[in-house]
Amino acid sequence: MKQKAPKYSLTIGHLYPDLLNLYGDRGNIACLMKRCQWRDIEVQTIEFQSEDTVDFQKLDIVLLGGGSDREQILVCRKLKKIQADFRSYVEDNGTVLAVCGGYQLLGKYYETREGRIEGLDLVNLYTEQGEDRLIDNIILESPLCKMPVVGFENHGGRTYINNNRPFGKVLYGSGNDGKSGYEGVIYKNVIGTYLHGPLLPKNPQICDHLILKALERKYGPAHLEPLDDIQEQEANTYMVQRLT
Amino acid sequence: MNIRKILAVWAAKAACGACRAMGRQGVTWAGKLALMICPSILREMAGEVRKKIFIVCGTNGKTTTNNLLCAALEAEGEKVICNRTGSNMLNGVAAAFVLAADMGGRLDADYACIEVDEASTRHIFPQFTPDYMVLTNLFRDQLDRYGEIDITMDILKEVIHSAPQMELIVNGDDALSACLAMECRNTWTTYGISEAVTESGDDREMREGRFCRKCGARLVYRFYHYSQLGDYSCPQCSFSRPPIDYDAQEVQVGEQLSFSVGKEHIIANYRGFYNVYNILAAYAAGKNAGLPLKNFNRMLKNFRPENGRMEQFRVQGSGVVLNLAKNPAGFNQNISAVMADETLKDLIIVINDNEQDGTDVSWLWDVDFDRFGSQQINSITVSGIRCQDMRLRLKYADIPSLLEADVENAILARLADGCGNLYVLVNYTALFSTRNILKRLEESRP
Ligand SMILES: [Zn+2]
Repeated sequence: MKQKAPKYSLTIGHLYPDLLNLYGDRGNIACLMKRCQWRDIEVQTIEFQSEDTVDFQKLDIVLLGGGSDREQILVCRKLKKIQADFRSYVEDNGTVLAVCGGYQLLGKYYETREGRIEGLDLVNLYTEQGEDRLIDNIILESPLCKMPVVGFENHGGRTYINNNRPFGKVLYGSGNDGKSGYEGVIYKNVIGTYLHGPLLPKNPQICDHLILKALERKYGPAHLEPLDDIQEQEANTYMVQRLT
Repeated sequence: MNIRKILAVWAAKAACGACRAMGRQGVTWAGKLALMICPSILREMAGEVRKKIFIVCGTNGKTTTNNLLCAALEAEGEKVICNRTGSNMLNGVAAAFVLAADMGGRLDADYACIEVDEASTRHIFPQFTPDYMVLTNLFRDQLDRYGEIDITMDILKEVIHSAPQMELIVNGDDALSACLAMECRNTWTTYGISEAVTESGDDREMREGRFCRKCGARLVYRFYHYSQLGDYSCPQCSFSRPPIDYDAQEVQVGEQLSFSVGKEHIIANYRGFYNVYNILAAYAAGKNAGLPLKNFNRMLKNFRPENGRMEQFRVQGSGVVLNLAKNPAGFNQNISAVMADETLKDLIIVINDNEQDGTDVSWLWDVDFDRFGSQQINSITVSGIRCQDMRLRLKYADIPSLLEADVENAILARLADGCGNLYVLVNYTALFSTRNILKRLEESRP
């Protein structure tokens, strides 16, 4: 066993897993945790339940998952209380991964047939409910990594990202609105995306990107030890070959 | 004489016979053909059942509960129709009736025990009105990952409303099932377990319905049995666990199951806490319908699950147990059942992503596979279409695994080099093919 003191330490904040937990978000957390631990980076995850207060000063990576529309309305009310702190965190280059409903909540609003769900307005985007749900496997080409990004999408909302950078170009699947050919959003160190599956295990380079950005914000220029990603790559390649 | 009806019966029987080699699909096909020839056949035949019709709904445990109920009624000397193989949509249900008829199209049955897929109740209820509905539980299924549990509850509410005379038998430990029963005007009966049995309560486990359906507050639990099953109440409104009519006491879970309900002491040679609920549900349903169930324990002794629910095989000197595990709640219970066998074992996990399995495999990450990181496990092999995803899932629990996409090769390899005690956990579409492989291997003794 190596006994050297860890050089780095990161804290992940998982927001409202009691309400937003539809798509295997535990997989994203497990992936972030393990890929830190395998590199001797000290890491902990704090779960914030819907009645907890969130101290963004203590957080290095924030994860916001997806819920059903009903749950999202509940979350939206809670989020209003933390909106200002969350915005400062984002503007201060805080790392965020927001998936599905969490992605929609980053924007100004989600217009559903039952009414408008106000968002956090952290990123200049908005969502409207479409006719049907876009459900299938999905593959992207993303500027954040060399490997294709594979995942699964399942969303009724159509998201419009204005002039922001997309997370990736759609190679297979529907993406943000089924028409633009793009998926997700990148804003500062925020990634918003419809991809679950969960996203990170089969896309380890995205996971490492999040870890690296969090380290750089906290410690300045940083370097990540490469890991043996053969199994990750094989799982990724299997889906790419099957769908293209 | 209804010629169409007889024709439909003949055609279905012929189709089923011809398709037998293909396995289960044959049954669905037979039902479809019968309905095409005679669209009213299900309505007509259901009308010929002499006494009562039970249907069994719920996310997990439908097949086992339904087959137990059927066996319990048969043990009382009743003639029972049952969709034993678990074909639980309209065609499968029609097939159960049609294939039980004689060549003159006549049915000879006292009872019918039919498991019905929740969404298919909409197509079944216009055909016949059951006398009883058993509702086992409402968990998040692998197929409904976007709040569809709300949709499922709406469908059930609608069909229950359409059958005001039907009695409900619900799991009172499940807040969602209980809430559904409370919101309907039908007569209802509960079963449940009022004392904590295990020291469970891993709080990370996915729990559905943690929030009160009436007022939105977070439910408070005195204890959890597993998943969201337990003793709950709302701190804000009057909603709470209802009184339990069939209450299992002195529950023992281990190499075998035992519990008392009323004056009856029940013992079964199965593993898995969830089987306490399955047995209890069948018992409550039978008793509630006025049957004495004097032979219930004898029935349990002879009951052999034959549908890949903890089904045992003997192959090349090894014991093999096959079990279906298709969603997080079911899988977590399966893991408990496997770990209740404390001897060394090999494990094969088969994951497919066909339509009936759910094409989204995210749910694998909601299962507590970490518990397989134990000395009791000799090896784990991942197999099936999405074996790569399963391998990654285990990797991130620090558990190494062998990869063999082909199920038969995986089984043969572990029979050859394993420890002689093999568990095969499969999701839905892998069940029938895997079962066929094991049956074939069992019959072809070297
Ligand atoms: Zn309440």
